Order: sequence, then C-alpha cells, then structure tokens
Amino acid sequence: MSAQEYHVDREGENRVTFRSRASIEEFEGVTDRVDGYVLLDGERLTPETGGDDTGFYLEVDLASLDTGIGLRDRHMRDNYLEVRDHPYASYEGRIVATEVVGDGRFAVSSRGKLSIHGVTREVEVPCEVEARGEGYRARCDFQVLLSDHDIEIPSVMFLKLANEIRLEVEFTVLPATPER
Amino acid sequence: MTRFLIPATVLILLLPPGVGAQERTARWQRSGAPTEVPVTVFHSTQSANLPTAETLGRGEWLFEISHRFLPAVSDGAGALWGLDGPVYNRLALSYAVADNAMLGITRSNLQDNLDLSAKVRVLASRAGGIPVMAALNAGVAWNTETPAVFGIEDNERQAYAQLIVDALLGERLALGVTPTLLNNPRIADIDAETAFALGLSGQLYLSDQASLLAEWLVSEDRPDLGHDAGTFGIELETGGHFFKLILTNSARMNPTQFLGGTPFEFSAGEWRLGFNVTRVLKF
Repeated sequence: MSAQEYHVDREGENRVTFRSRASIEEFEGVTDRVDGYVLLDGERLTPETGGDDTGFYLEVDLASLDTGIGLRDRHMRDNYLEVRDHPYASYEGRIVATEVVGDGRFAVSSRGKLSIHGVTREVEVPCEVEARGEGYRARCDFQVLLSDHDIEIPSVMFLKLANEIRLEVEFTVLPATPER
Repeated sequence: MTRFLIPATVLILLLPPGVGAQERTARWQRSGAPTEVPVTVFHSTQSANLPTAETLGRGEWLFEISHRFLPAVSDGAGALWGLDGPVYNRLALSYAVADNAMLGITRSNLQDNLDLSAKVRVLASRAGGIPVMAALNAGVAWNTETPAVFGIEDNERQAYAQLIVDALLGERLALGVTPTLLNNPRIADIDAETAFALGLSGQLYLSDQASLLAEWLVSEDRPDLGHDAGTFGIELETGGHFFKLILTNSARMNPTQFLGGTPFEFSAGEWRLGFNVTRVLKF
C-alpha cells in the first residue's frame, strides 16, 4: 500500500470563515486563500486511515481576510492578528481516525498544532470529508479562543470582538502531481 | 570528548525552526508571497477639518456629526467653557463608489451651507518603505441663509479643489499637506475671487485606539477672516467609529467656510471646544 500526497486545489472553491459573536455586533471574515497538503498512509481514505503515517499542513493567508468593512479589516490586520509579523495561521498534524458515514463520506478526526498570531496550541479538529473525483472535499468546523493565542481584545471601549471565534475551513484537495 | 559535543549542540541551535520537529515528506511548496497589506497613512478619511487621502472601501457609508461650541473656553464656568452654546452643527454623509473614490454631502447650520464633494485617491504606495498616499478632493457649496448684505444673494455659491499628499513616518506619525484653491472665500463680497490656502495636518498614533492630532490652515488675511486656523486634539477609534475631541480657534466647519480662515486669533483666550463623531456603515 503506497502513500499518497494530496495538495489543496487553489482553483477549488476554498473558503475560510471566522465568526465573532459579541454582545453588540456580530460579524464574519472570509478568504479563499488556504493552501497546504494532506498525506495519507494509502492511496485513498479508508476506515483504517490514521496514525503516524498520515500528516497534513494547512495555512491561511491572513492579510486576505475580508470582513466587509475596510476599517475593521485594518484593525484586524494591524491590532489583533498583526499580520506583518505573523502572515499565516497554520494547522499541522495527523489524522487520528477515519469513520465512514455514508457513500464516499467520512468523518475524520485530526490532532495537531494550531498556530495563530505566533502562538501554537495543541488542538483536535473534526472534519467532514467527501470523495470528489480524484480528490476530496473537506469541511472542518471548530472554535478557538483569542486569549489562547495572545490576541488582546481592547477592554476600554466598545467590546465588539468575541473571545470565542468560530472557524469554518472548507477546501478541496487533489492528488499531487509533479506540476501540482 | 566534551569538546566534540559543543559544536554539535551549536549546529542544532543553528538549524532553522521546524527542522527536526516534524519530518515533512510532502513535496508541497508554498506558491507565492502572502497578500500584501494595504497602505495606511491617516486612519480616518479626515483630520479635524482637513481631508486626508484615505477613502472608504467600496460600498461603505460614513455618517458624521460634528459640533463647534461658539463661546470660547475662556468664557469659563458661567458658559460651561463653551458647552452652553450656541453651537455650529455639521451633518455629513459619504459613500464610496469605488475603493478609491467617495462622494459626500455635508450641511452646516452656519449660513445653511450645503456642500457636495468628491474625493479620488490617486496614489497609495510604500515607496522606499514610507507609506505615501495622494488624493484629489473637490467640492461646491451653496449658502442658502446669507447675511443681509446688498448683492450677497447672487454670490452664495462657493467651490474648492485640493491636492492631498500624506506620508507616514516611523509607523506612527502621519503628516499631510493640502494645497487648496478656494473660489469665493467671502460671500459678502459682490465679486467672487479665487484664493490659495494651504492645509497642514499631523497625527501621532499612540496606540491601537488613541492618537493626537493637529492642523494648521494658512489662509489669506481678509475682512472678518483675518487669521489662520489652528486645531489640536485627540482621536479615539473603534472598529467603526472615530471620536475627535478638539480645541480650535475656528468654529467654521464646512470646507468652503473653514478654508477661508477664521475671525479669531490663535491664542488660548480664543480656543473653542469641538468634536467630530463618524461612523462607518455598510448595508
């Protein structure tokens, strides 16, 4: 059984969304700039997939996040995420277990290091994965605490950013080829 | 033997971070650089009175309410340092038709001045590491409640055109120069003239939220408007608001009025309190 490497399809409909639900204001930020790879221990995803022979690395280009309001984007880039020092958020780890939940559909649990704002935390992230052609479509949904990543929320005025941020990451991977 | 261990330790320390932490067998490589962070000089689209080269993002609205308290701070507690009023009031609404262009309508109760303006940012670059921005700003205004002077009813329209050049020094100090042409600075004159004025603005960003601002307007000495206008104050910003609290020797706010100069000297006895509040909105 040979290992297979998959790469994020940059032309796929990738989408990273974060949602902040503070008491006064609710908003979300969106980008399609997610990239990275997934290593499987076999050709395809199976109920046996998981363990040290698997691996993945995903990164999000943070300066591309768009909340719909330019001023808020600037505050997010400059004050909270400090993207000039930390341009990417990344998640690197291994597949823990794979469960078949339907025809070509899987529930994949992952564990790894989530790095945001230069602060790395060990996390577990569940993903729904669907076989699509040669590749897969994945959707991962999880929460992060800004305080876990040393992101300070101004406490003096008008708290409009929640500490608990919901992240949704959707992306497509295709088998790696010499040119991809 | 210890001698040989030292170089090995040094070698490990010199390895780039990540090496050894996890063996990456993937052939994947990052394609291209991260998204470039847009240039910022002044955070707000205007200083206290002068415009900056900053514009809104496309589709965004900006609502403004500003006051200048007419009695001087030096009038003391009896006039609540000016807060008793009367006040000049200004309401404004702007809309960004593109990421670099915005239109505005502004009304001040001083002579019921109604102003229509357009601003286009023509440059935003980080030339030689210094963020620089430039914009063109122009407007026309009508004074619909004019003083009772013979001939003035026919001379209620004013106009202006400005070049705005801003630069950010040391990541914290924004400086702006605004050469201005002002048509019909004094509506009491029967004939309209075109005059030159020069706006200078500076803002020192102390933290993510607080900054100090200062403005100076060099204008021609003319009857009733014999002095340059100076302004200084603080600005607080949140995700969508800017609050400016200022002291100034000019109570005139709409562009054609402010740019003509002020009747008050720039001295502590003539300083007046004022504020601007703006809110960015998107529907």
